Amino acid sequence: MTQCARACSTAKQLFAKRQFKFGTLVACLFVLIASGCSTHSKRISQPRNLFYDGQLQACRESLEKLSKSNRHDRDVVKLDLAVVDLLTGQAKQAESKLREVRDRFDHLEQDSLAEKTVSMWTDDQVRSYAGEDYEKILIRVFLSLSSLMQDGIDAESYTLQIQDKNEQLGQLFAQRSGKDAIEYKPLPLGFYMRGMLREATHRDYDDAVRNYEVASNLLPNCEPVLWDLHRVRGGVHSQPGQGVVYVFAMVGRGPYKIEVAEQPTSDALLIADRIVSAVGPYKLPPTVAPIKIPDIVVPASDVDSVGVQINGNRIGPTASLADIEQLAVSTYRANRNSIIARAVARRVIKKATVAAAKTSMGKDSGLAGIGMDIAGIAWEASEAADTRCWGLLPRDIQFLRVEAPAGDHQLQLNPLLGNRPVGPSQSTPIRVIDGQNTYVMCWFPDARSVSQVMCSNRADIGAVLERR
Amino acid sequence: MLRRDWLNSVSMVTLAGLMGCRGYQYGHVVKPEAANMVGSHEAGAEVFDPLVEEAVAKLLMRQQIATDDCPMGPDGRPMKKLICFVGIENKSAEDIGDFKDKLYNQIDSQILESNSFQSISTRMVNAALHETRMRPDALMLPDNMRLFTAVLQRSGAPVDYLLYATLTSGTTKRNSSTQRDYELTLELTNVHTGQYDKLSSEVRKGYHKTAAGKIWNYNPLKR
Repeated sequence: MTQCARACSTAKQLFAKRQFKFGTLVACLFVLIASGCSTHSKRISQPRNLFYDGQLQACRESLEKLSKSNRHDRDVVKLDLAVVDLLTGQAKQAESKLREVRDRFDHLEQDSLAEKTVSMWTDDQVRSYAGEDYEKILIRVFLSLSSLMQDGIDAESYTLQIQDKNEQLGQLFAQRSGKDAIEYKPLPLGFYMRGMLREATHRDYDDAVRNYEVASNLLPNCEPVLWDLHRVRGGVHSQPGQGVVYVFAMVGRGPYKIEVAEQPTSDALLIADRIVSAVGPYKLPPTVAPIKIPDIVVPASDVDSVGVQINGNRIGPTASLADIEQLAVSTYRANRNSIIARAVARRVIKKATVAAAKTSMGKDSGLAGIGMDIAGIAWEASEAADTRCWGLLPRDIQFLRVEAPAGDHQLQLNPLLGNRPVGPSQSTPIRVIDGQNTYVMCWFPDARSVSQVMCSNRADIGAVLERR
Repeated sequence: MLRRDWLNSVSMVTLAGLMGCRGYQYGHVVKPEAANMVGSHEAGAEVFDPLVEEAVAKLLMRQQIATDDCPMGPDGRPMKKLICFVGIENKSAEDIGDFKDKLYNQIDSQILESNSFQSISTRMVNAALHETRMRPDALMLPDNMRLFTAVLQRSGAPVDYLLYATLTSGTTKRNSSTQRDYELTLELTNVHTGQYDKLSSEVRKGYHKTAAGKIWNYNPLKR
């Protein structure tokens, strides 16, 4: 208490004697914030390479290290860790991590003026990452898949959440921008998975029809969905003595963010003008030099589907149910003007701060003035784009439904490009149960990468249990 | 002067920033006597609860009269009829999402509470559908019905009636207002005689783009 009072009186004396140098404050501020040059895209590159090399354990260790060292990256790293968990057979842990991030992103949808204010003097990396809209939808997709890989108890709830979130985000976008949310087209995968689960009840065929109809309207050229629709309208889930295998294939390397220099658009300048006018007596200059913002890139893929064989019999290639590239790019670009606007506003505020500091100190010219200009330029240069994102996503999620006799089988999966095999095939034992679904999940990022195959009912696990 | 202005604006922004912290989400338990929330875009508990209550009550009342002359049990009281509630078919314009299973349980529980009927376990019905690989809508074919009831009988449930529920809707539009009539129909079929009974209940609901839409469209002076 005494120390506090002493500190206050010292501060008062400083102000009273007008010995407090305003420039010192700006310099301290600059030193404090100039350390934020590194971006998430640089930090995540090593774990991502390890993941695509098939070194999942090393990738996990690297991600865990990153999560501990950088608290602002923690949520997105958790999403990447969930993918690693899912592909290493730890679906329960994956589901738990995904649920945590889903709830946190929902909480962060509320704005924090404190964070917004700080980010105006630094950059967007200091803000808590609330997730891109496509990530929020995909979290629910991966939650459904994680649940299917275990007991499937919550899978149906998650499939409902996919559509709910999509609608909610579309409405928010429409309110924010005053435009129609055409970019927020529903994801067919959510409807398909719900139809698939309702069909497996052997009772709710009407729900299955309804959901497959929506999925087929969204994917009019997808023949497998049309076959499914035709079956549930008059047929049954499977013939007596048979079960169904659903192969969910993750194909290609998915979207991630990089830093780019962007020329502000007129729409972005309009939004920036509103921000700048709201925070102080500043005016937006007529022209603004290019600013650093994040952009989404999707690497080219040399795999476009996965060929499925059971016991050496060719069944067919998988078909796309969720074009993640299209979802990510369209929803991100729809919100891009706001990101540019924030960067423009930040630049104006920083410039105004330096100008005000110079004027107040009477250092408009001379060596001190040049020094402050240089400090101002360095301050602006220290800014980096917020490239935090869910880095381990596929480009496409595809599926194939196979009806097979109950019993143990060998499933082979081949990466295909234009229906021709382009890489080594993966094989896994599966157990088909009479009248039930068996789920297989695999990921073929490219023709060279080591793919991972997971199954909800592995034949060898069943054999081990039987032996016990 | 400029410095003071600048400091003022900085402190204003900082103060505003500190005030605008993220909030929490809160929940509360709705008292049993409290009215249901009314869905703004789709039907919810405010529609389905009265639909189920009315339809099942009507069905049980009529069947009570019809089964008064049924065989007596060893205790001298009329024997309960065994009902197999096959399922609910949603033919309405809306996707009822997670409500379907709730409706199923609600109808099943109300039947179970009655004096005239005893319903078969849902799990037993599902197992019979799974074993016979029959669609619920195919059970009305005599051969299918015989096979299905035989499977249930083998499991210790000699079924007397099959019960189907169907949810339908009808939509009337007037400019930016919509009226949707929701109807729940219960169809009860006697597996021994083939006789069937049908009852339904209805709830009408209006959807409007503005608060004045209700007053404008449902004004008693209008007609």
